[in-house]
This record gives sequence, structure tokens and C-alpha cells, in this order.
Amino acid sequence: MKVLFRFMLVLVALTSSWVAWGQVSFTVDAPALTALGQPFRVEFTVDAEPERNSFKAPEFEGFEVLAGPSVSTGHSIQFINGRQSSTYNCTYTFVLLPSESGTFTIGSASIKVDGKSYRTKSMPIEVIAENGGGSGAQQPTEQSPENRINKEDIVLKLLVSDKEVYKGESIRAWLMLYTRVNIDNIESLDMPSFDGFWSQELTFDNTPSREQLNGRVYEAYKIKELLLSPQQSGRITIPEATMSVLAQVVVEDKRHFDPIFGGRQIYHVARELRTPPIVIDVKDFPAGAPASFNGAVGSFTLQSRMPSSELESNSADQIEITISGSGNLKFITAPRLVLPDSFEKYDTKVVDNVKLAASGTSGSITYTYPFVARSAGTFRIEPVMFSYFDPATGKYHTLSTEPMTITVTDDGTAAAAPMAGGYAGYGGTMRQLDRDIRYIHTDKLPRRAAAMMVLTPIYWLVVVAIVALFVVAYVLLRKRIRDNRNVVARRMKRADKVAVQRLRMARRSMEEGKRHTFYEEMLRAMWGYISDKFNIPVSNLTKETIREVLYRRGVSAEVAEQFCEIISRSEEAQYAPSAEGDMGEVYAFAAEVISKIEDVVKR
Amino acid sequence: MVVALLPIAGSAADGRTTAEACWKEGIAAYEEGDYARAVESFERVVELGESSADLYYNLAGAYFKLGQQYTLGVSRPFAGGELGRAVLNYHRALRLNPALEDARYNLDIAVDHTNDTEAVPDSFIATVWLALRDMMTSNGWTIVSLVALALTLVLALLYLLAERMVLRKVGFFVALTMAIIFICATALALSGRRAVVEDERAVVVCNDTTPVHASPDSASKIIRRPSQGVTVTLLRDRGDWSEVLFLDGEKGWIRTSHVEKI
Repeated sequence: MKVLFRFMLVLVALTSSWVAWGQVSFTVDAPALTALGQPFRVEFTVDAEPERNSFKAPEFEGFEVLAGPSVSTGHSIQFINGRQSSTYNCTYTFVLLPSESGTFTIGSASIKVDGKSYRTKSMPIEVIAENGGGSGAQQPTEQSPENRINKEDIVLKLLVSDKEVYKGESIRAWLMLYTRVNIDNIESLDMPSFDGFWSQELTFDNTPSREQLNGRVYEAYKIKELLLSPQQSGRITIPEATMSVLAQVVVEDKRHFDPIFGGRQIYHVARELRTPPIVIDVKDFPAGAPASFNGAVGSFTLQSRMPSSELESNSADQIEITISGSGNLKFITAPRLVLPDSFEKYDTKVVDNVKLAASGTSGSITYTYPFVARSAGTFRIEPVMFSYFDPATGKYHTLSTEPMTITVTDDGTAAAAPMAGGYAGYGGTMRQLDRDIRYIHTDKLPRRAAAMMVLTPIYWLVVVAIVALFVVAYVLLRKRIRDNRNVVARRMKRADKVAVQRLRMARRSMEEGKRHTFYEEMLRAMWGYISDKFNIPVSNLTKETIREVLYRRGVSAEVAEQFCEIISRSEEAQYAPSAEGDMGEVYAFAAEVISKIEDVVKR
Repeated sequence: MVVALLPIAGSAADGRTTAEACWKEGIAAYEEGDYARAVESFERVVELGESSADLYYNLAGAYFKLGQQYTLGVSRPFAGGELGRAVLNYHRALRLNPALEDARYNLDIAVDHTNDTEAVPDSFIATVWLALRDMMTSNGWTIVSLVALALTLVLALLYLLAERMVLRKVGFFVALTMAIIFICATALALSGRRAVVEDERAVVVCNDTTPVHASPDSASKIIRRPSQGVTVTLLRDRGDWSEVLFLDGEKGWIRTSHVEKI
């Protein structure tokens, strides 16, 4: 028993010390807005055990205290994985009734915890006098449940943060449900089509609040919140949103009064709600956009990480550009980077870190431009320009990186490296870089293209004319052709025979002892033989041509030389009066050489 | 008679002068980078009845450059169907002069921007034949064939008349070669003529992609979505709808206004 008591003492000591260590909070909770004649609750909550009777309520000036303070306390101790935690809270509740309209302040309440005094903040409460009386649901009239909910009791509104924006600037749109009755269920919700906008849903705090609308107090629920970014200029209409809800109507029924459950009947009433269409005026960008402007709207800063200023050729490096700020970051395209021709460019890598918030998208986008420097030299890297339009000031701003020079040193393989404009493999696909169409032709306006000639009458005429010319020429020259053919054939055939005849005549002269005539006949036979045999006029013949002709016809050089020797000897002997030469020998030799030539040529 | 003809001749000369002025304006606009005005001027020259490979080549180039001159973030490249027009006009330039190498090169680049595949000849012989055919216009080959015919006959006469063996032999073989050249050139000229006269090709011209349906009915199934600049063969024309054949053998119906014959 003693042990148990001791244990409890320790426990109490632990608990109180635990509370003493923690931060004590003492808060007030009351609606900021209320209507005249509507009672409401004010709660003061402390999360530690207060000292007895230390709570001092403030003066409720302008309100009538209907009930309170009623005190409720709660205490829980938890052991999770051997760790103990304890919570304690104590709530003092008042029910107040506003007695006149205006803004009143609930003063601060005070309480003591472990000898220390805590105070709540004072809280202003606005009390309004509602026009048109209370809501239908609270008037116990003999109406059907349908009619107990006025049209004004449930209101759906689409609100936008701005109705006049620049293209690309983002606005916030949120759908609010205002109600003075209990809503059981939202049966369906049709959001309008935000044509002309790029819309993104936002996450939002969905705790209901009390708001004043047309002089009445409503419970306000946020249904949806979106970020809209207009993509075109002009007046864009957001069509109506529709929503169907089931409202709860409680009717005190005196006729069916139940002694235990009372006479309350609960009805569900379906209601269709619509928002009016909203027109947003989207302004186009003003004139005078810089060349590097490509639709970025907002407020941005630019950071860059440039490559090292000295590189070895065929080595890779990259330029990194980070654009951060808020605005239409998702629509920004990579700023243009102009690299020297001998730098091989690769696809730009984009990493974005963009967050969505009610004020618009913000964050940063990093563009990485990888490249390989192919050839050695000193190159200037032009600054990268990025322009944006600031809707707050209505002006364009241009940001740029510093220009820099890169010195590329030769790694010794520059000659073998492919130049820009060749094929670069990237990501498994082969693409040709820097290909563009060729320039236009700037000569004079060419003549009209001629019609097709082939198969036209003129074409046939030309063909017929050519053939006719040939036929005429053939007919005119036919005789000559025939003669020509005959003369040639005959001469060729008879060459041998003629030579033999001439040789025979020479022999007769030899037998008669006429030296001069013999040699004359010999020469004529020799020259004539060649002329006839090879169809060459005698006037064109020399010893040289004979050698050439014989050589071309396959006669050996030796035989040709013998042939020429006979001619030479005959020529000499013809005019030498006391010639030693033997005529018979010459004759026999000539006959032998001719027969040799005949052997070769005939074959 | 002469009096009646004069006004016509006069207006034709005026048309030519106007066309020359528009041509110069188009070139000047292109040089300044005002491609919209260049397109307008060259189109005007075409309207005036001029037709030449260089004209269509320049028009296509202006269309291509205009399509590339889009504003980043505001519009897409070739948003106005310029790529289709460029491909169409390069085809027209090549039809008038198959030997216009610049047009062939540029057409290749333009086709790279579409989702079209290139037509590949079936065999090596077909490749060689097409390459030969496209070396010259049909008229060029016609002239070659006529000259070859004349030379064949002249050399045949030389063969028949020459007394010297060498000349006869030369005459015979050269005449034979010329006869072969004559036959080939005539065939190439006819083939070139056929490629123009029986050309049923058309190019898809639309802003982006256009649906091709299984039957001439917009409710029927969409079988593919060719992009602008895709070359097809026209099979049938039925008013609003045309049946087309794709290079891969697929057939379908497309809105007639979305294709233009080369």
C-alpha cells in the first residue's frame, strides 16, 4: 500500500514537472463576425492544469452572457514505445448574445498555472444587424421544407484575385460556398472550363470561416483554389460553375412530438447553385520587346556557371544557367546560347524546381548546355540573354551573363576530330547538326519552263527529217558506196595477182637483158603490191610508211626490212650503169619476201 | 488581224514586266528576312502565269523560312502550314527541273521536319535509272536522243563511204554507240515525261496534323494522322474527300482541301 502511494506521488510529481517544462498556451476562440440576435460561443482554452479559481473572465461589453462559464477538462497520458506524453486541457465556455451592432472587443482573460500568470489576447468581434431577418430555417413557420431555404441562404461564388492581367501573368481563382444552413453533402461540382488559361489546382486550408456577405453572416467554405495563367490576350470569359448540394432543414414538429426524441424532423433539400460568368481582361505585352524575349512574365534573376576558361580540344564542358524567381516559369524556354562553330553542341538539359503557391509559380529552372570543343584556338562566348516582362512595373527587363573567352589548347588529335556540322550521336539517335536549306536563287526571273517536247508533232517532224536526210544522202551516194566497196574488195584480192604479173614482166626484161626496165618493173611491182594490198595511194607511200603498215599488219620487222632493201637495191641498180647486182638474185629474193608477207597478212 | 493581236501581246508583255518586278521584290524581301512578303511576292509571280524551277524553289524557301520564324513560347514552328507548302513547291521545282540539286537538298531537309518516310527505289537498277533520268529534264534527254540519232546516221554514212579501213571501223563502232545512246535517251525522255504527266502525287497541306479516315465520312475511324508535308498519291477525288495512298501502302480518305496536287 505504501509502495503504491509512493509510486503515485512520483507519477504526480512527474506529471506536474512535465507540464511545467512545456510551453503553456492560453487561447481564446470566438467567431470574428456575428449577427445581431444570434447567440455564439466564446471558449478560453489552457493546455495545462490551472490553479484553482485562478481564471478571471474579461468584461463582455456589448454582449449579454447567456451561459457560462462552464468548465470542461480533459487529461490523457500516452505511452508510446516506452515514452510517456501527457496532454491536459481545460476549457471555459461562455455563450454570448450580441445586444447591439458594432465592433466590440473581448478583453483578455487571465489564468495562473504553477504560480505564473497567463493572459489571452484581446479579440475584436464585429456584430452586424442583418437585413431581412434571420434565415428561413430558423423561423418556425408552417412552410414546406423546400421553402424554408431562401435563395440567399446558400450562395456559390467564384472569386478572382485580379480581373485585369497581362498575358502570362497568373491570377488566383477560388470557389467559395457561403451558407446559412447546414450542408449535408455536395452532390456534384462542375468547374468551368478555363479556356484560354493554363490552370493548376492549388492546395489550400479548408477550415471554414465566418464571413459577411450582403449584410449577412455566412459560414464560408473554400471548395477549390486554382492558379490561372492566361495564354492569349483579349477579353476571356470564364463560364459559370455549377454545384448541386443537399441542405439540411430541421423542423420542430409540434404535432408529432415525441417525448424522448422531441419533434424534430430533418429534411434534405437539393439545391442547384451557379456562379455568374467572369470576364477577365487580358492585356497583350506592350511594344518594344527585346529580341531575347520569349514570353517570360514575372520577376526573375539569372545566375550562371561558366566553364573553365582553358580547355583541351575534344574535351567536354558545360555552361549552366539558372533562372529563378516567380512568374510563368513553366513556360520559359531555354535562352539561346550561341557557341563558336567548332564547338559541338548537345541537347540542353533542363532541371526545374518549381513550386506552386497562391502567389504564382516560383522557384528556379536550371539549363545545362553541354558542349565539346573540337578545335584549338581562342573563342569568345557571347553572353546569354534572357528577357522577361514585369507586370508590376509594365516594363521589360533583360538579364545577361558576362561574355567570356575560352582558350582551347590542342590535344594533338584535332585533325581527326569531326567538325560541327557532322553527325553527333546523342541519346542513341544520330542527328545531323546545323543543317539548313540553301539560299534562294537571285538571278533574273527565268524563262517559263518549256513544254514537253518528246512525242509532240515537232519531235516527230525532227526525227523524220533526220531519217529523211540520211535516206537522201544514202540514195545520192549509193553508187559511190557500191563502187567503193567493189574497188576495195577487188584491189585487195588482186594485189597478189598484180604483183605476180609485174614480177613476171620484170623477169621477161631480165631474160632480155634490159637492166633498166627490169628494175623499173621491180619497183612498180613492189610499190603497187603494198598500195593495192593495204589500200594506200602510191603517192602516199614511202619506205617509212611501208615499214609502219607492215609492222601494223603483224609482219616481222626483219621481213619488212628485207622488203625495203629490195626497193633500195632496185633504185640503186636502176641508175648505176655498171651494176654488179645479179638480177636473178633480186628477183628470187623479192618473190620470197612477198610470199612471206602474204603468209602473214592472209592469216 | 494584226490590230486584234496587239493588245494581247501588249498585256502579255506587261504581265512579264510585272512578274519581273514581283520577282525582284520577293528576292529583296527574302534578303531582308521579311519572309511573309517574299512568299506573297513569289506567289504573285506564280499567279501571273510564270512557272520555272527557280521560281518554285524560291517560293518554297520563303515558306520554309517563314515557318521557322515563329516566336518562341507564343507559336510553334510551321504553325501556318508553311512546311507543307515548302515541300509542295520543292516538288514542283523538281518536276520542272529534276536536275536542280539545291531543290533536292532542301526538300530532303524539309522532309526531315515532317513525320514522312522517304521513297526508296526497289532495286539498284531502278536507283541508277532514276538517277540518270533526274540528271536532265525530259526535254534535255529529247535533245540528246535527237543528236544521237543524227550522229548515228552520219557515222553510218562514214562507215559506208570511207575508203580507209580505220575510218570505216571508227564509223561503225561510233555509230553503234550512238544508236545505243539514242535508244536510252529516248527511253529516259519518255520516262521523264511519264513522271510529269502521270504524276498523281499530292502533298498534305494543313496547319498541323490532319486525320485520315477509313471511309469518306468524318465519323469513321481515324487510321492515321499525317503531318503537313507528307507526300501521298491521289487515287480518287470525290468532292470533299479524296482517297490517298501512302508510301507504305496504306490507303485512306482525307479532306480534299488538306491535300494539294504537285
